[in-house]
Amino acid sequence: MTGLFHFANLVRAGIRDNALLWMLIAGFALFPIFTHFADLPFWNDVAMRIMLLGMAAMGLNLVLGYGGMVSFGHAAFIGIGAYCVGISQFFGMTNGLFHMFLSIGVCGALGLVIGYLALRTTGIYFIMITLAFAQMLFFLFVSLEQFGGDDGMSIDRADFLVIDLYEPLRLYFLIWVALALVALGLMFIVRSRFGVTLRAIKSNESRVEAMGLVPLHFKITSYVISAVICGLAGTLFASWQEYVSPDIMHWTRSGEIMIIIILGGLGTLAGPLLGAIVFLLLEEFLPLALGAVAPAYAENWMILFGPLLIMVVLFGRGGLIGLLDKAGFARIGKRKMAVK
Amino acid sequence: MTLTLILEQIFNGLQAGVTLFLVAAGLTLILGIMDFVFLAHGAQVMIGAYAAAAITQATGNFFIGLGLAIPITFASGYLLELLIIRHLYRRDHMEQVLATFGLILFFNEAIRVGFGPAALYSDLPPALSGFVEILPDTPYPAYRLGVIAVGLICALAIHLFVSKTRIGAMVRAGANNPEMTAALGINIKILFRLIFATGACLAGIAGMMLGPLTSVQPGMGEPLLILSLVVIIIGGIGSVRGAFIAAIIVGLVDTLGRVFLPSILRLFFEQATADGAGPALASMLVYILMAVVLIFRPTGLFPAKG
Repeated sequence: MTGLFHFANLVRAGIRDNALLWMLIAGFALFPIFTHFADLPFWNDVAMRIMLLGMAAMGLNLVLGYGGMVSFGHAAFIGIGAYCVGISQFFGMTNGLFHMFLSIGVCGALGLVIGYLALRTTGIYFIMITLAFAQMLFFLFVSLEQFGGDDGMSIDRADFLVIDLYEPLRLYFLIWVALALVALGLMFIVRSRFGVTLRAIKSNESRVEAMGLVPLHFKITSYVISAVICGLAGTLFASWQEYVSPDIMHWTRSGEIMIIIILGGLGTLAGPLLGAIVFLLLEEFLPLALGAVAPAYAENWMILFGPLLIMVVLFGRGGLIGLLDKAGFARIGKRKMAVK
Repeated sequence: MTLTLILEQIFNGLQAGVTLFLVAAGLTLILGIMDFVFLAHGAQVMIGAYAAAAITQATGNFFIGLGLAIPITFASGYLLELLIIRHLYRRDHMEQVLATFGLILFFNEAIRVGFGPAALYSDLPPALSGFVEILPDTPYPAYRLGVIAVGLICALAIHLFVSKTRIGAMVRAGANNPEMTAALGINIKILFRLIFATGACLAGIAGMMLGPLTSVQPGMGEPLLILSLVVIIIGGIGSVRGAFIAAIIVGLVDTLGRVFLPSILRLFFEQATADGAGPALASMLVYILMAVVLIFRPTGLFPAKG
């Protein structure tokens, strides 16, 4: 009976989470109208960056939030996705769909290999081995001189048959469609038998094993899915930035995506996107705020951002979604926080 | 000629190894005993380097710089633990990653505000700027030799401290089973704080010694942090002995790999292929080593927890 009640609770909580997620995505669809009338075209660029990082964070969240595996190397998949575009263009392949399929294939295969090797370990060892694989790939691209090495390579926006990405807003809505598809996919994955098992593994792995399931299979599958989503975000990132360098897979970026997830709310669908919005808005506004108070130090906004992160960890458990919960605006995080 | 080169590179590798050990020794205990993922350990390296360089510039004496920087790094570690870190021990690893990541951003930016973004350079004292003949006709910089000596002395001191003293026994007990150690009436809070401060101090010493060899700049500790994490994983979390052996291995593999791998590859492949793949493979070598170790020994070479 309690199990049934818990299930009902889960569905209800899920719906609320989904509602917030789709509200945010609908907001992104309408955002260009606002920037058009307010005459702020620069903010379209910021919105694209938010959607891309949000997409990558949603991918990582499947592993981090739902599966409880602290992967500290997902920036590598973003980088591989971006380099799939750069290297294909280097060899004359300009078709955007080809880039996407290539990136899905390469990131999936790489995710399978890295996931298989890394998931032999747990805890701190897992964090470190994922970091090590990411560093390995980072240094590989730093030393690949024919693809720009340290300096990176410039990229043309990908060629999508009838869609010319150089036209205004074409890239924006391509990213938006990708984000919506990823969100839709994740929504079904999280609700499915697979997603429930993944969460069960997070809370008690040996019990899942005792039920006759093989936790490793579920973990590796989720790792591959999240790698592919990050790779997809990377391919689009390359078109947005029109440039790719090993910096895209620097270990601090892995930390950044993790920050976005925890800022928003771990193990929720809307959390990563919400976190991306807040993270990038802070990145835009903190320098302005600091510049207003102490103009000489506007560039040193990190000096505020660092302590802010520590505050979030010390006082803001459950991220922004948790805060919304406490304020009574949502009912998403409580169940998740009870698990730990 | 080649023998000279090989010998010189082995010494460079040793020097890199002992420096890594100084960073890794404290960190392995922080990870092992407190189960705390501390990414801001690289900042301690930077604090040590800046303290030493700034005091050296102000007083004009390298040794006064070193002497004053050591208590400064100890105090900074002690304060950091007292103010922030101790509130994070019970949190999960991810939150620790996030909070210490915030610390990195803060320290790097604070140094940039305080000392400017440009690198500081500190000159070597005349007593250490010469060369020593390690073999006939094989001169080697005296300073680097000094770094190796200091590193080895520190390693010996840590070894004696951990294996012979009462506090060392507490540290070992803490690494093996923290709950049981606390249950036996050992004040684990103070123990943690002292380990943390000592670890910060050792990392600071590494930074001070690196100062004259590299440029002292914001973020200088991070490459060392990542490498020392590799060292800790290979050696086994919580094992000081493992950290020492792994640090020497990683230092030698990294240094020798970068110098000799391209020419070794040239024996088997065409020149162009070897020149392209050599540097790439060399910089990936330590990470490959770590992955291989983890695949065969998932808890490292000398796991401390039994």
